[in-house]
Amino acid sequence: MPLLSIEHVTKRYGNFVAVDSVSFDAQPGRILGLLGPNGAGKTSTIRMIAYITIPDEGQILFDGRPVGPWSQEQMGYLPEERGLYKKLRVGEQLRYLAELKGIPRADADARIRQWLDRFDATDWYNKKVEELSKGMQQKVQFIATILPEPRLVILDEPFSGLDPINSELLRDIILELKDAGRTILFASHRMEQVEQICDDICLISRGQILVKGSLREVKSGFGRDAVMLNFDGDSSFLDDLEAQELIRISNRTHHRAEMRLLNGTPARRVLDAALQHVDELYHFEVMEPPLSEIFVSVVSEQEKQRNAQAA
Amino acid sequence: MHKIWIILKSEFWRRVRSKWFIIITLLAPLLLIAMIVVPGLIGFLASEGDDGTIAVIDDTGVLLPRLQAAADDAFTFVAADAPVDSVQNAVRRGDYSGLLILTSDVRQGEGEATYYSAEGGGLSLRPRLGGLVDRAVEQQRLLDAEAPPTFVEIVNTDIPLRMVKLTEEGEEADSTIALAIVGYIMGFFIYVTVLIYGAIVMQGVIEEKSSRVVEVMVSSVRPFQLLMGKVLGIGAMGLVQMAAWGFLIFGISAVAGPIIALFIDPTQLDLPADASSEAVVTAMDIGIPTIPFSLVVWFVLFFLGGYLLFSSLYAAIGSAVENPQEAQSLSVPLTLIVVVPILFITYVIESPGATLSVILSMVPFFSPILMVVRLAASEVPFWQVALSYLLLIGGFVGSIWVSGRIYRIGILMYGKKPSLKDLVRWFRYA
Repeated sequence: MPLLSIEHVTKRYGNFVAVDSVSFDAQPGRILGLLGPNGAGKTSTIRMIAYITIPDEGQILFDGRPVGPWSQEQMGYLPEERGLYKKLRVGEQLRYLAELKGIPRADADARIRQWLDRFDATDWYNKKVEELSKGMQQKVQFIATILPEPRLVILDEPFSGLDPINSELLRDIILELKDAGRTILFASHRMEQVEQICDDICLISRGQILVKGSLREVKSGFGRDAVMLNFDGDSSFLDDLEAQELIRISNRTHHRAEMRLLNGTPARRVLDAALQHVDELYHFEVMEPPLSEIFVSVVSEQEKQRNAQAA
Repeated sequence: MHKIWIILKSEFWRRVRSKWFIIITLLAPLLLIAMIVVPGLIGFLASEGDDGTIAVIDDTGVLLPRLQAAADDAFTFVAADAPVDSVQNAVRRGDYSGLLILTSDVRQGEGEATYYSAEGGGLSLRPRLGGLVDRAVEQQRLLDAEAPPTFVEIVNTDIPLRMVKLTEEGEEADSTIALAIVGYIMGFFIYVTVLIYGAIVMQGVIEEKSSRVVEVMVSSVRPFQLLMGKVLGIGAMGLVQMAAWGFLIFGISAVAGPIIALFIDPTQLDLPADASSEAVVTAMDIGIPTIPFSLVVWFVLFFLGGYLLFSSLYAAIGSAVENPQEAQSLSVPLTLIVVVPILFITYVIESPGATLSVILSMVPFFSPILMVVRLAASEVPFWQVALSYLLLIGGFVGSIWVSGRIYRIGILMYGKKPSLKDLVRWFRYA
């Protein structure tokens, strides 16, 4: 049974439909990536899951029961727009937020010390939040989110504003949480991060779900139609191929190019063209398209249909 | 309920232990007492201040020594041994503070005494100087008439007068005026504290919203719980502050009164020379009159009611904006409503039983100030107080309900600055 079920949920703000009859599930012990461009309806959906707002239609079930104040205690939510009480000290702040999730003060304090140690932040306990840098505040807020050991952890763009070292640390902890059996809902528009850690994805745009399923299924569903080249020499043959609408280049530097094969173009066609023109070919690979590619093609397909309907 | 309590505690403690809270709590009563006591003290000091040296041209030849004998520290009388116009010039130059001319027929109780001064004396100078001259002439004439000692004693009678009011419970010091003043102070106090604590609530809501911490909060508690926890926590802070002020004011005035009394000559207050310091404090009217306990209870209850009514509305306004500047224009209508009763305070003190006073003291927005003023200034039938308070309870329950509906939408709205119309629209959202 899924831990979280979103069933035909719709949310309107005035005449604007932010979330349009959306359904998806989050399986226990897995990381679900909620992907979408800015303004797609990710935050609106998350707010309904966290019982901050209430759907106009449809229902959200947590553990088989409609969400409510009871489910808030079992969820931890890290909003995209971070915020803490600036004048409160880190220790008191974390204790307060934990207490509101139903964690007794004594338990909270031990966990706070433990997590601050883990983040190399033991001496922050008595510092006011306003004395900390942005990145430090973000770590404190992440601790606040996971400290009550919620069954569902909702992370909205958790990596934004973190340096590579801290991103790495955060990713390790997210994977540990998953190993410990927590369910994680991870909202982002950064595809490479999603691809690294998510088990399942759910792609949302303009309030509608475009693709959902396990990452593997979704990627294989799009076939092995991506090609990657490493070479030296003249690359103008790529422009010719693109002009004939045989490929679309997604990423290109002097010595490297990634592309999608269009309209059933065989991969050989690209290899032949390359061998004719380049001085040296180091690497040729046919592969699954990266998630960002899938994302772009799915969203542009949606745009096409919208335009067709409008016309 | 449990979550409201957690929020209440946090909101309360983080404010009560701040250094500003402690400084203001300690300093405000000192300022208040200074404002009340200092003018009174200055009045007393001025009345016995040094009026300088007065030159006297005494044509009777006998009154000057008597004046000198009767004069207290305030006056020094000296004989002027120069012609009138040169002494007048000396007064103009400031050598003397005045020139007193006593013509010879003053000794017979006729004619007149004339006092010349450069500054025209002062309001209190005339009766005091006149009294001294009268007393001197009186004593001289008694002597001239060879009056028997008993007669002299009778003339010199000086009985102190104590003011006592009869009430149904017995007798007590007449404190009608003092209680009216207490009512005025209480009413004004509720006005100031409701505005200040309301602003603190609004400020707190704005901070929570602009720092975005509110989104984390409402993922743990319902917006209504957050609103109530904050309002009640700051209200508890207000009660503690007011209780501290109450103790400090009573404590300081209990100590300050006798200290001031040490410097006051009881005879000046028409009291026996050996009057106790309490009697002096009472006569000086700088002590705090005994405030009936019921008045204190109603004061606290009406303060709480008014605070809940207004602070929840201030919270609703705070939830709509992202910084205090934006809040200003939205909160003007509310602040105007708070001000209205202040305009009627004087009227209600003067005619606490008038129909207009009774009606105004029933209206929830006005009753926290005006009913307290009425209760202090007069006897109010119990049913009127009870009705007024029931209406106030209805008022704050309603305002909390309205505010809660606006608040839960407002805290998640960012971007365009909302108008009052938007607030009404949010209120109507399901």
